Amino acid sequence: MSINFPKALEIFQENISLFLYGIGNTLLFALIGTLVGFLIGLLVGGIRAIEINDYDSGLVKVLKHIGRWITSFYIWVFRGTPMMVQAMFVFYLLKPVLQWTPFVAGLVIISINTGAYMAEIIRAGIQSVDKGQNEAAMSLGMTTIQTLVFIVFPQAIKNTFPSIGNQLIVNIKDSSMLNVIGVTELYFQTTSVAGSNYKYIETFLVSALIYLFLTTLASFLLNYLESRFDEERKTKAMDFCS
Amino acid sequence: MNEIIQIQHLQKHFGNLKVLNDVNFDIHKGEVVTIIGSSGSGKSTMLRCVNLLERMDGGTILYHGKDILASGNDVNQYRSKVGMVFQSFNLFNNLSVIENCMIGQIKVLKRSKEEARAKAEKYLKEVGMYEFADKASTKLSGGQKQRVAIARALCMDPEVLLFDEPTSALDPEMVGGVLDVMKDLANEGLTMVIVTHEMQFAKEVSDRVIFMDQGVIAEQGTPEEIFNNPKQERTKQFLSRYSNR
Ligand SMILES: Nc1ncnc2c1ncn2[C@@H]1O[C@H](COP(=O)(O)OP(=O)(O)OP(=O)(O)O)[C@@H](O)[C@H]1O
Ligand SMILES: [Mg+2]
Repeated sequence: MSINFPKALEIFQENISLFLYGIGNTLLFALIGTLVGFLIGLLVGGIRAIEINDYDSGLVKVLKHIGRWITSFYIWVFRGTPMMVQAMFVFYLLKPVLQWTPFVAGLVIISINTGAYMAEIIRAGIQSVDKGQNEAAMSLGMTTIQTLVFIVFPQAIKNTFPSIGNQLIVNIKDSSMLNVIGVTELYFQTTSVAGSNYKYIETFLVSALIYLFLTTLASFLLNYLESRFDEERKTKAMDFCS
Repeated sequence: MNEIIQIQHLQKHFGNLKVLNDVNFDIHKGEVVTIIGSSGSGKSTMLRCVNLLERMDGGTILYHGKDILASGNDVNQYRSKVGMVFQSFNLFNNLSVIENCMIGQIKVLKRSKEEARAKAEKYLKEVGMYEFADKASTKLSGGQKQRVAIARALCMDPEVLLFDEPTSALDPEMVGGVLDVMKDLANEGLTMVIVTHEMQFAKEVSDRVIFMDQGVIAEQGTPEEIFNNPKQERTKQFLSRYSNR
């Protein structure tokens, strides 16, 4: 068991364009996946946090129940199966209909997968907001949706900021699973490089260091953003009216 | 006929616990009603039922003679006309002081931003919080928060304002300022229903005092009648606990 460090550096330099291409895609999948996943999470988490009120009409109650069933099913399936399996299944299932490329399919799958985790994060965030906030909004006559959008979401998102950042870091790593459908992200590129030089240890050392660099950079950025976010709220409350 | 709200045969239970048992009373325009009674007698629950924060198990609430729960009536429109001031203030933590006072006007009453701002400034001045307009609402003291909460409710031009122990969560030195604001509102003719343990204040501002005990209205009358000549034994007992303190 030995690692040839100079060789690793050499492999990195020789294949830099392949690695860079992989890094670009990995970051793209992680960022888009987290962003779109976040939006899905807001929607799904929001639906799951809507309370069924005693004063709702029959139709509204039925709709809310249906919303709960569908969202529970979605979360159950996508958190309960590996993303690799989801990728294979969804990619080949919809390929005849959509004629999509691995790239597009990968973006869709990582977003939907992240959405399922985000939904639960956001629901927990919503439920951590003091009930009095809801009651005050209701006492002004605001609707459930208005209360969620203008009062609860802004507070819930702040509470969930660390978990959202964590999801980005998870996605930097987990986008590697999309290699199964042929997405040319960093892991995929690493296997191609290793497949041609047979230096598995050194090539994957390079890959590991790159992943480590990306996740560390991401967590620094997130910490910075979080403190900026806090400061902004201190000086100027969000302008909901514009 | 100057009743704004009529509460008829109101029933409420939590599981097996009967909290309100056939409560009947009317709120008249311009009237200040205070509700007193020992802890657990159902005062908060009654207010919350009036504002539909709590579901009633029986009875009706008429608003200008119309059943508010009849189908086709807009519950949110009704709520916007029946303001509520909470014991724990419940200012919106993500909004500044003036935004707290504007959001309901803009989102519920559909007022323009300018109109909402003007109204918010007017009422913040009235409660003495105008210079805090752009502060984060989380940065205020309890007494300041409660005054902003009152301004927020007033901005909706409510027909009735409900107060649930508005000074109970305050430090003693903050209580006076909030009660003064409420006295001014009473003098201006605002219709108010106030749950309170401040007996002196109740004596001063009330047109009518309601004493609740174990989920029923045990006795009601003018402050003079309730505080000086209570008829029921349980009213006397309750009041004696206060005068001995
Ligand atoms: N959400 C709830 N679930 C179960 N029981 C409740 C709930 N809210 C109130 N109760 C019970 O209902 C009874 C009346 O409560 P309520 O808060 O109306 O009393 P109150 O007169 O306002 O008392 P206080 O002076 O302490 O505020 C109490 O026994 C209380 O424990
Ligand atoms: Mg109470």
